[in-house]
Amino acid sequence: MSKKLLPFLLIAFAYCASGLSSQINAADKHPDYLKQIKPILRKGCYSCHGSLKQEGDLRLDTVTLMIKGGAITRGKVDESPLLERVSAKDIDERMPPEHEGEPFSAEQISLIRSWIKEGALAPEDEKPESDPKDHWAFKPIIRPSVEKLAWGTNAIDSFIAKKHKEHGLVPQAEASRLILIRRLYIDLIGMPPSPEEISEFENDQTSGAYGKIVKRLLDDPRYGERWGRHWMDIWRYSDWWGLGQQLRKSQKHIWHWRDWIVESLNDNMPYDEMVRLMLAADELYPNDSNKIRATGYLARNYFLFNRPQWMEETVEHVSKGFLGLTMNCAKCHDHKYDPIKHSDFYKLRAFFEPYHVRLDLVPGELDFKKDGIPRIFDGLPDTPTYRYVRGDEKNPDKSTLIKPGFPEFLAFKELNIKPVSLPVESWQPERRPGILELYEKNAGDKVEAAEKKLLKALQKLIAARKQKLEAVDQTKPKPVTKPKTETIAKTKTEAVTKKKPETAKPETAKPVAKQDPLQEAIDKAQQELIVAEYELDLARVEQDSVKKRVVALRAKWSGAKQKSERKKIEAAIRAEREVTLAISRIALAKVELKLLTAKGKKDKIQKELKKAEDELKKSEKNIAAPIGKDDSFTTLAGARWTPTRFFNSTKDDPTVKFPKQSTGRRTELAKWITDRRNPLTARVAVNHIWTRHMGKPFVPSIFDFGRNGDSPTHPELLDWLASELIESGWNMKHLHQLIVNSSVYRMGSSVAQRSSNLSKDSENKYWWRRVPIRIESQVVRDSILTQAGTLDLTMGGPPVIPNKQATSKRRGLYFFHSNNARNLFLTTFDEALVKSCYRRDQSIVPQQALALSNSKLVLDSKKQIAERLSKGTASDLEFIQKSFTVMLGIKANQQEIDSSLKAMKEWRKIPDSTENDARAHFIWVLINHNDFVTLR
Amino acid sequence: MNINLASQLTRRDCFANLGMGFASLALGAMLQRDGYAKDVSGQTPTGQPHFRPKAKNVIWLFMNGGVSHMESFDPKPMLTKYAGKTISETPYADTQDPKKLAIERLVVPDANGNQRNKLYPLQIGFKKHGESGIEISDWFPHIAKQVDKLALVRSMWTTDSNHGAQTQFHSGRHQNDGSFPTLGAWVHYGLGSLNDNLPQFISIGKREYWNKRDGHYLGPSHDAVPLKIDPKNPLSFGQPGRPFSQESQSIGQNLLKQLNNLRSEDYPNDPTLEARIASYELAYRMQKSVPDVVDFSKETEATKSLYGLDQPHSKDFGMKLLATRRLIEKGVRFVQIQHGAGGAGAWDAHGALKKNHTKNALAVDQPIGGLLKDLDQRGLLDETLVLFATEFGRTPGSQGSTGRDHHIFGFTVWMAGGGLKRGVVHGATDEIGFHATENRHYVTDIHATIMKQLGLDPRKLEIPGHKRLDIDFGHSINEIIA
Repeated sequence: MSKKLLPFLLIAFAYCASGLSSQINAADKHPDYLKQIKPILRKGCYSCHGSLKQEGDLRLDTVTLMIKGGAITRGKVDESPLLERVSAKDIDERMPPEHEGEPFSAEQISLIRSWIKEGALAPEDEKPESDPKDHWAFKPIIRPSVEKLAWGTNAIDSFIAKKHKEHGLVPQAEASRLILIRRLYIDLIGMPPSPEEISEFENDQTSGAYGKIVKRLLDDPRYGERWGRHWMDIWRYSDWWGLGQQLRKSQKHIWHWRDWIVESLNDNMPYDEMVRLMLAADELYPNDSNKIRATGYLARNYFLFNRPQWMEETVEHVSKGFLGLTMNCAKCHDHKYDPIKHSDFYKLRAFFEPYHVRLDLVPGELDFKKDGIPRIFDGLPDTPTYRYVRGDEKNPDKSTLIKPGFPEFLAFKELNIKPVSLPVESWQPERRPGILELYEKNAGDKVEAAEKKLLKALQKLIAARKQKLEAVDQTKPKPVTKPKTETIAKTKTEAVTKKKPETAKPETAKPVAKQDPLQEAIDKAQQELIVAEYELDLARVEQDSVKKRVVALRAKWSGAKQKSERKKIEAAIRAEREVTLAISRIALAKVELKLLTAKGKKDKIQKELKKAEDELKKSEKNIAAPIGKDDSFTTLAGARWTPTRFFNSTKDDPTVKFPKQSTGRRTELAKWITDRRNPLTARVAVNHIWTRHMGKPFVPSIFDFGRNGDSPTHPELLDWLASELIESGWNMKHLHQLIVNSSVYRMGSSVAQRSSNLSKDSENKYWWRRVPIRIESQVVRDSILTQAGTLDLTMGGPPVIPNKQATSKRRGLYFFHSNNARNLFLTTFDEALVKSCYRRDQSIVPQQALALSNSKLVLDSKKQIAERLSKGTASDLEFIQKSFTVMLGIKANQQEIDSSLKAMKEWRKIPDSTENDARAHFIWVLINHNDFVTLR
Repeated sequence: MNINLASQLTRRDCFANLGMGFASLALGAMLQRDGYAKDVSGQTPTGQPHFRPKAKNVIWLFMNGGVSHMESFDPKPMLTKYAGKTISETPYADTQDPKKLAIERLVVPDANGNQRNKLYPLQIGFKKHGESGIEISDWFPHIAKQVDKLALVRSMWTTDSNHGAQTQFHSGRHQNDGSFPTLGAWVHYGLGSLNDNLPQFISIGKREYWNKRDGHYLGPSHDAVPLKIDPKNPLSFGQPGRPFSQESQSIGQNLLKQLNNLRSEDYPNDPTLEARIASYELAYRMQKSVPDVVDFSKETEATKSLYGLDQPHSKDFGMKLLATRRLIEKGVRFVQIQHGAGGAGAWDAHGALKKNHTKNALAVDQPIGGLLKDLDQRGLLDETLVLFATEFGRTPGSQGSTGRDHHIFGFTVWMAGGGLKRGVVHGATDEIGFHATENRHYVTDIHATIMKQLGLDPRKLEIPGHKRLDIDFGHSINEIIA
């Protein structure tokens, strides 16, 4: 049993050099070549002495070739250098060479020896390894012809039926309409249908009813969310993570990329365009912020500390996700299975070498902490790429500069990299429309806020004084009127006259020996007022500085005459100095306030005071200082580079500027990936899409279409769908429509009445029935909320942060999700691993039972669902039937009804239980039912 | 096996044969998925050990931050003698040989992890203890009393001098190398269940942000299940989140079982359905069993004080270890306990080492000493392997005037029980505790040793597509195996 089980676990994992040892029985005196010898040689020798490479002109993939190459002599152990080399003690002599593979074990060597001794027997018709170029996935996609339909609805079925016929399989009948509508809704929009939608479909017996729903669902914006989540798995969406607030991986506000995915899918943006934009929107559409969101795909690979790892992840997942190639296996050496050279890994890296990440301001928000679009740009175009000897980043081979390039076997087009001149708004992002205005508006808002704060401080002071007055003479009648304007003005003047620190100091230093709390309150309010006054000053000089900088910037951009431009620049510089001065004043005032209110030892504060005073003196001096020829002002940023720390320092690396030109490398890479001649891209995309509709891929090694990967179960169908994808203009909705309208999609998933198929194809390799799917984590949660009628369908925007998730009713894809922050409920149902998730796991573990039995989500929803389903169902019988239909897609049979009715009665017997309680408990049972989390 | 056969197996058979408890359920589910077989002969865990095990359970105590080896289990009086001198002024100048220092990898840059050359005196005294006469610092008097049960390895080394070395210790690979299954996950993957009422791989204590998962490419079902020491709510979703009477629940549970079973008419031979039903039975048992584990009401006062529950400084960690013993008693395979996670780790004494280690030792020493004694007196220590580990040691030289920096070239961990020798020291560092000089061991040698005691051959647990290197497997430390 277990032998069958393991592969399921393995599918989701990377195939690289697989290092499998074959069963060896050293005691066996007559080794069997095919079973015992060939597997050893395949693993240890073929990568260099087979069809991939012929080191020393030697091939070992057939016995004939071994003899021809002089590696072995039948029956003569002494004249078989192969044996000598694999058993050599000298590391320079030994095969496989050091770092190229593990040495053969004594057992393996003894097997080979016995086999040679016995005459190196092998089947006569032994075939050599096929040429890597002939590998199915590396050959061009040729649209196969469609045979006449023997079974089914559309062309897809014709390919499926062919295999049925070949293997003598009888396809399962179409699933019930109830199951079909549930299948369509969950598959296409990730939510179950409502009771009304179900009955409408059940009542519409016209032939077009099914197709109508398909069309409607594909036009539903929830489609983009559902399939967006699938692509987010494949493209490795992750919210940022790091230590505390320090960003280390991915990007803050990366959700802009998620929104772009959802919107693009809803707009039915062609697949090739999506790929191009994710890799190079900054070069292709440098002025289109909406499209540039797509480059979040690459911004997500950001890693604060280590460039080689960042680049490695990028190369690995661009190749796996788009091309089904395990380029990562060539990081340390030539690929062991595919014609990918060690240097090819670095050639691919070279396309990405220049890119860095920055945040672009979005309309209305100047605070990068709050928002901004994470995007990429070629910041360091001259950074060289070197091959790392054996993948060791400490050991780059600097003798050869690696340039961008494609692996030779996929060089169907000439490499044609053209640098891209960027529009000025791209490298001076503050010139994008609205940015300067935003700075001005923001500065104005700050002044207003400071004015309000000052007024509050004044009122506080007045109140404090009033209290003191009242305390002094309590017999006097209390004044109830509000402070008059004159009073405010007077107090304000008082405060303002205390502006100079020299005046403030004696007062603050004044001993408050009397411990009069009312006087203390006045002193404190007075000092706070001073601070507020300074803050208003600051806001005003800041506003002035912003205005002058705006003027200076505009002058610079308009190409004004040198002299008038310089004048404006100088004004901006001066204004900024005023800001520095105002900041120093506040700092000092704050220290004074601290001194005033501090209890106990004040030595430390005195020190701070001294420092603040010095700082102020410096600023004052600076105001008067002449402006140097090269002095400039701080620009108003329209974007900010996301700093890295690649070097062993505790500081950010030197700022990467925004160049006027982009290298054009990624554009060329994107064109090559999406070129219709690329044999891999469309096949890989179709496999992704098919897997998610059908629960099972054509090519199980989903990110390895290479020679070590699996062969497709239906190569012709895969190619036909790939051709359809390309020829329809990479139209994904077209592909969805084809697939969900096919008969193979609409089959039942049971093995009932088809037991004869079991002995012929127990694994259902040839699709004689549908595969049930354990619905994904988000769908479990979204389904519960949908049934409860509480799902919040708001689309897009920042993710729901962890401590808001318990109460949030947003769809699961909007939950903050990173390597470290995961929602417990979702995680329980095999949430996507952000590091790589080409396919979700579908485990069944007791924690899921606990989550569905005990979570607040379920226990709150069961009542709401019961209430909804109780509408129009007077009797328990009707309620039970309706609940089975809506919750599970099941027409309850008599036994199910009887058992349910019986349980209802038992619940009602419990003291204090209400009509609703029993129904809610029943719903709780159905949420826990196998078919609630299963897409039949 | 074909699907017909699958349906003939009862769930009990399924678990008994596989011996895999929860893991088998995860596997069972996957029956439904396409059976694309790679050549995996001999690779699939059967839930049975590969050879006769000497230990059944593992307790993995991990001190986050880096415990000073010189001030715990590898005292170095020469530090005091040469205190204040730079290393080059002492007879140990050769420790600075760049070749010897070259094992350190490119580091994640931060201000720490640099060599500190001015020797810093021992901040605590030390004594010989027990019949073995092993020297242990005075910060660990309770562990010292159990010294004759310990097998100390004083010659550990690792490669990365930042706290990502924590994952290195758990998985064999540094945080920056990617994500790799931790030892507990491998054991969970490879070995059967001892008790189906409890999760088999449990994590107690807060985990660092880079160390929140275990299964990684083995899958999320091999992540440790977090356990809180709170009888009311020890397990996530372990109790109804809203009032829900026991009676109502059991009526529902009965109905659920009936309804699920009734589905097999329409869907015969559906192993997913069977696994789903079994998972509910297990969940109900778990729900009942887990709170009992953290309910100490039946423990005697003597036991409680043995674990330091009566002392404010050791109560928290003591409760964790008492719960651990109860878990082990009930047959939980692997319990990992983190001490002091958060920030860089509680033991990370870059400054004020004396204060730091005094406090942390007070928190853990009595509970750990108590655990060793208790396991032994209950006859559990023979089959339970206890590990005391930390990501690296601390520099012989001072950082600032009161601290020590990270130190990868030599440090100490110890193990006890589980068929290991008792009261032995293996390996050594030089006289200032700088380099491991005798019988040097990389962190995965600890993994190999534990795997060996559990009867597992890690090479037989290999996953295609995830080639493991020699250094990932390590070499078992046979000298300390009884």
